[in-house]
Amino acid sequence: MLDDFYQFFRSKSKIGEYKEAGRKIIGTLCNNVPEEIIHSLGAVPVRLLGISQTTENARSKLPSWICYYARRILEDGLKGEFSQLDGIVGMTTDDTKMHLYSAYTFYVKHGFSYLIQTPYVRDELSLDFFAGELERFAVKLSQYLSVEFDEEKLRSSVRVYNRFRRLCEELCDLRSDDAPKLSGVDWMKIMLGSTCMLKDDFNKMLEEKLEHIKDSEGIKDYVLRVHVSGTDYYDLEILSLIESMGAVIVSDDLCTATGYFAGFVDEGKNPLRSLAERSLGCSSCILSSHPDSLSIEDRIAFIKERIKKSRAKAVIILRDRGCEICGHQYPLIIEALHSLPVLVLDMDIPVSVEQYATRIEAFIEAHAR
Amino acid sequence: MKFQDWKPLGYKTLYRELFRKHLARQNDLLKRGRPTGWFFSFHPSELIYVFDVVSAFPEQYPAYCAARGSSMDLIDTSMSVGYGHFICDYFKTTLGSIIEPEKATQPTMPKPDFIVDTRALCVAHHEMAEVFSKIYRVPRYVVNYPYWTRDLLGKVDELTKIPERIDEFYLEYCVEKLKGLVGFLEEVTGEKMDEAKFKEVFRVSEETSKLLVEIPRLMMAKPTPGSQRELGDLVFVAFFVLGSSYAYEFAEKAYNIIKDRVKRGEGVVPEEKCRLLTFGIMPWHSLSLYEYCERLGATFPVNLYVNTSVYLVNPEKPFESMVRRSLHFANSTYEMMEDILENVKKADIDGAVLFENTGCRITSMIIRPLADLLYSRLGIPSLIIEAPQCDPRVTPLGKAKMQVEAFLESLR
Repeated sequence: MLDDFYQFFRSKSKIGEYKEAGRKIIGTLCNNVPEEIIHSLGAVPVRLLGISQTTENARSKLPSWICYYARRILEDGLKGEFSQLDGIVGMTTDDTKMHLYSAYTFYVKHGFSYLIQTPYVRDELSLDFFAGELERFAVKLSQYLSVEFDEEKLRSSVRVYNRFRRLCEELCDLRSDDAPKLSGVDWMKIMLGSTCMLKDDFNKMLEEKLEHIKDSEGIKDYVLRVHVSGTDYYDLEILSLIESMGAVIVSDDLCTATGYFAGFVDEGKNPLRSLAERSLGCSSCILSSHPDSLSIEDRIAFIKERIKKSRAKAVIILRDRGCEICGHQYPLIIEALHSLPVLVLDMDIPVSVEQYATRIEAFIEAHAR
Repeated sequence: MKFQDWKPLGYKTLYRELFRKHLARQNDLLKRGRPTGWFFSFHPSELIYVFDVVSAFPEQYPAYCAARGSSMDLIDTSMSVGYGHFICDYFKTTLGSIIEPEKATQPTMPKPDFIVDTRALCVAHHEMAEVFSKIYRVPRYVVNYPYWTRDLLGKVDELTKIPERIDEFYLEYCVEKLKGLVGFLEEVTGEKMDEAKFKEVFRVSEETSKLLVEIPRLMMAKPTPGSQRELGDLVFVAFFVLGSSYAYEFAEKAYNIIKDRVKRGEGVVPEEKCRLLTFGIMPWHSLSLYEYCERLGATFPVNLYVNTSVYLVNPEKPFESMVRRSLHFANSTYEMMEDILENVKKADIDGAVLFENTGCRITSMIIRPLADLLYSRLGIPSLIIEAPQCDPRVTPLGKAKMQVEAFLESLR
């Protein structure tokens, strides 16, 4: 039933449909790109996620040790897998993403490209700057699309996206039940589907399925409730492996799942300002914080909140070995989660499932209820 | 290949004098109870001298550890507590020195009372600042410059960092953030900024910057007058102590030495066989590699890494000047790499030796596009050596020498 979503992700068939209908397709290189702006201008925002299992072409353009998220995007771009795209939008959220934007526009050329400049602090000056930056992006894209930027249309897109977030939250909450209504694998399939569909279509589809999911019996035969932590992780193999060994994934902070939808946009304010506030304030990994606090503290609070709600009893960290955010933040996150058992798995592609199986099995056995 | 006599410029003595004065200042300020700040490369160093604060640099100190052989243990210490392997060597070395100071080269950095978190090069600076700020529980101030694009700047002169234009929207934001930094420093020192001192420091900074910009320009002369083994430390002057009187004294002497040598038509070696460009953070543990190449007749008239560090200060527009510091090609989209080609042509380059600094995304990710550009536009071939800047274990010096020798053979 939920495989439809995943099929849309794997086959990109929805994108093809939109393209045939004359819509422009705009790829995003970070989940903090405010998709509402693209949506309000009549284009289709698509979160770029590469699916290549090896990155031999990208390795001739990028160092081999950088995150596989970036290598896979460039690999798929070089292979022409993103030929449906009309443009890309990047964000300066980390070093890899800044240079990935450069590499992508240098080696794979599309009609439109824009790099959103992110401030790393949420003071008033920076929020105003960022709202202005989003306006510049909106104007540039509107010029490319020959569509006038309209604040009312943006408000309407904000409502569509907030509806998307409410639905995702509702769905996510079903994972917190004693008998979680959704496995971690199914949750990821749905979230991946959401990255490559118009949210209007996704919302309708999810609304139809939600009641059915709510009415399901749920998963009862598990031995451990697990929170999964990471950044741009989206391969199903390891999630499947974890759940095949008796655990159930009840929450996460992945940029590709909970981090993708978390945080609402205030519908009562100027929409660009509200988008700026959400983008800098409500995500799981973005490196921005209030001037008197640290973003790592925000992220720890985000993870703890998810764990508390889902009643996860253990944490499995899927650490992209080339991810700079993972490399800097995890020791502090693990320290903050001192009361919970934590398993750290260093990830790269192709995923060697068997290598992880023993460790995951031992971890689950050691902490099973 | 035959080794030649090697005649460096003799900057070593000048650096010693500079470091001695810098450390004396630091000790004096510490005795007087002045607060200590940690700063990153491309920060507005002039403000250190305006506010008389102690300055420490979590990039310069690890380079010092690498040169003295303690960085490997410190890197291992950081990784043993869970920090990633593929993150900045500077971070891992500094963190190791915090966790196990007994393993670190002495003197270690003074503990910070505040951290100035500027992203004019890499987000890793911001990530490091977060970790250090959390460990020491000290305040931090964030200034984030844009990652520049052609649209925002037009063409930029590689050495002076003078652009055709700077988009007002971004310039104004950065200037306001820098004014906020002044306010932050007033708060941590408890003193209002001295306007006269501000002007004087910027006057000194301008004079120094004029000389510093000329040194890499003169390096492009034929034959190459100096060694990159010496030039590498120029980044310390340009990144960290610009605005000080001792930086000016250094720059004046260093400029005169290289100017005289160019006038005399003398090179670092008697017979220059090929002229190389280099880029990447220098492998501080293996700087003798440059000497080795030079003795083989392969000189380095262009070091793009050193070139990123210099810029021309305009005391009439001090805040705009501080922003212009970030207008280097490593903090820009790849299209901006075009701007370095002019100097590459002038320097008549035969090949490039590029260092991929494992863990440093901001320098390493541009190595291959740079190699592609040099080859496609100017027919210049490149050798890429994986060389984390503080960890010699990835590419031991012997292996690097063999790679370079084979590359030089291929250039003939």
